[in-house]
Amino acid sequence: MILALDPLYLTNIGLAVVLIALLKVVLAFAIVLVAVLFMVWFERKVIADMQHRIGPNIAGPWGLFQTLADGLKLLMKEDLVPEHSNRFVFKLAPFLAIVPAFLTFAIIPIGGNFESKGGSVRIFGYDTYLQVADPPIGILLFLAMSSIAVYGVMLAGWSSGSKFPLLGSVRASAQMVSYEAALGLSVLAVILQTGSLSTHEMVADQAAGGFLGFIPNWNIIVTGFVPFLIFLIAGTAELNRPPFDLVEAEQELVGGFHTEYSSFRFAIFFLAEYLNTINMSAIIVTLFLGGPSGPVLIEGIDWAWGILWFLVKLFVFLFAFVWFRATLPRFRYDQLMDLGWKLLIPLSLGWFLFLAALNIGNDRGWNPGVVVGVTIVGGFAGGALLMAAIRTARTERISQEVDAHG
Amino acid sequence: MLGQYLPLLALLAIATLFSAVSLVMSGLLAPSKPTPPKLDAYECGIVPSRDTPARFPVRFFLVAMIFIVFDIEIIFFYPWAVAHRGLGLFGLGSILIFSFAVFESFVYLIGNGALQWGPLKQVAHPDGSVSSKRTTTTTVRRVGLEDRIPGPVGTEEAA
Amino acid sequence: MSEVIVFFFAAAIILVGAVGVVVARNPVHSALFLVQTLFGVAIIFLIQDANFLAAVQIMVYAGAIVILFLFVIMLLGVDSAEELDVDPIAGQRPLAVVLGAALLGVGLTVVLVAAKGITGARATAGGEHALDNGLSDVERIGRVLFTEYVFAFEATAALLTIAVIGAVVLTRRAAAADMLPDREPASFELPPLAPAIDEEEEH
Repeated sequence: MILALDPLYLTNIGLAVVLIALLKVVLAFAIVLVAVLFMVWFERKVIADMQHRIGPNIAGPWGLFQTLADGLKLLMKEDLVPEHSNRFVFKLAPFLAIVPAFLTFAIIPIGGNFESKGGSVRIFGYDTYLQVADPPIGILLFLAMSSIAVYGVMLAGWSSGSKFPLLGSVRASAQMVSYEAALGLSVLAVILQTGSLSTHEMVADQAAGGFLGFIPNWNIIVTGFVPFLIFLIAGTAELNRPPFDLVEAEQELVGGFHTEYSSFRFAIFFLAEYLNTINMSAIIVTLFLGGPSGPVLIEGIDWAWGILWFLVKLFVFLFAFVWFRATLPRFRYDQLMDLGWKLLIPLSLGWFLFLAALNIGNDRGWNPGVVVGVTIVGGFAGGALLMAAIRTARTERISQEVDAHG
Repeated sequence: MLGQYLPLLALLAIATLFSAVSLVMSGLLAPSKPTPPKLDAYECGIVPSRDTPARFPVRFFLVAMIFIVFDIEIIFFYPWAVAHRGLGLFGLGSILIFSFAVFESFVYLIGNGALQWGPLKQVAHPDGSVSSKRTTTTTVRRVGLEDRIPGPVGTEEAA
Repeated sequence: MSEVIVFFFAAAIILVGAVGVVVARNPVHSALFLVQTLFGVAIIFLIQDANFLAAVQIMVYAGAIVILFLFVIMLLGVDSAEELDVDPIAGQRPLAVVLGAALLGVGLTVVLVAAKGITGARATAGGEHALDNGLSDVERIGRVLFTEYVFAFEATAALLTIAVIGAVVLTRRAAAADMLPDREPASFELPPLAPAIDEEEEH
């Protein structure tokens, strides 16, 4: 038996299988583009509403085609490559931003019947998963791609040969790198429950069982809410979205790393940014909210329910990201780094060990109360140590300050 | 097994192609009338007077270095998380020792102020930065006029 | 068969990248070629069903180590137009030729000696049936790493701790000066103040 393999590839790989795989890829690509167009419109409309404005309302019904119009406009704008830029890297950077964003979407299960068919649907007589690829590395692809995305930001800023982009990209890359650690640690909690890296397995694992008949077996509950919260915060920071959008703090850095980009090169960065937002929401749904799993209410169209549940859950987070932007003021850089390194990383590490101890204890028949007690004691000890370290560093810095300035 | 990765390759190709084709189309559709101000670095309309800084605070560099170490340490957790049920108590012990080492180096880092950023609230103006000598004429720097007007604004009229 | 095609594809990526690292004049371009090489190596890992290693290859090498290289190149101000005619270390060019030839010789010897031993068998233990017992490669790594090689694993933890201490100690002196809230950051040089308007009012 081969683990975590799309049933499509279990049959003899012939022309039909390859065609179905390609069809899925092309469909995913189209879905992504439409979703991004929609997401930009959605964000503008919701923010407008929150600020008692109307928002885009001219192009198409409710201004739906506004993004399309903007995209076409950008296509026809003059494309400038600054004089002092490193031309090769300047032109390469947008690709390094957009390609990882597209690849991340590949591992997201967007549908499938998880009630009775193990998450697969039937297309042209072949059973397959409704996700572009389900590689064995699963969620690691997302983490790898988010580390590649740093290149796009970093090189864009550096190659522009201009101050604001450089400052923005340095901030951004240090920020993304810092929050990647917290992101990786909070994903571990989910892997503990699933015992697999595959996103499909994660959804299948959450689709099974439940508590009291109506509470779903979602990881947000099973892992105790903390990893979800950490992932949400770290994910927002990884996206460089408000309140962590120091990269493009307009008052300080104009447009941040893409200040010098114009025309469609800018559009590509914009596309990547919104695509990443959609990806992040979808990954949160997959990891913590059971992805497309949910009850099949009408048997005849069982394939539609997975997609429906997925979209409903996705919307919650798309809205949340817009809501954050409309509501929260921007962090200061030191607050951002402190939050990431001094709170999220140790907390997620501690929570991971706690969940692991609970699991092992469960297997060996330990009293969960003892595990919780030991964790609380250990947590307090670690926390006290950390606080002491922070205090030491601060005291030393104050004395340095006094020495230096009298 | 490699068939699993074929869709990823296809998606990569499509994404690259899409970007490339759009850029080529943009190149054909868009006007191209570059002028020196357009090609200059953008500084809010001011003529750039200083070179882009070539050096940055060492803190950024330190973050990148520390990240390598923590990234490697986190990577070790993945196989453990996948296999932990089969490893039992022995596995828990080994990961606890490992985590202790991770945490210990983390506390060392923080204790040495390696991750300290930004201003301190506790020390306000230690060098007398607020003094009567500092006025708007001594602190406000007029920049960006170098290449535009020989002297500051209004010189011609005054002379 | 498909694996052979993928192998040559990956090998081409690796070799082009490796040559690019050496040939590129701009250090940032070199770093980018290095990323290309690392991706090629990741594909080689995939051919061997080492999915986890491929992911780690990208996450750690491309995602962290080359990022550090780029930070150094970009932020510590390495001049992209560096003088290539002057050797920083005297006689490094002849030495490089000798060492390169030696390395090539050793490599060729190994290949020629081992040529008889090449069976085409897979690197994964268990050969063709590596995954038949239902365990993914990550789980196999986990099982082996935390039982048989647990001592090496804990030693790695110690090594990484030393690395952290080293990083902090090496940057500490620079950091100590740097940590002060800069009124004017030491690393940015301000130009002299432009003539103020009140000077003009005098004449």
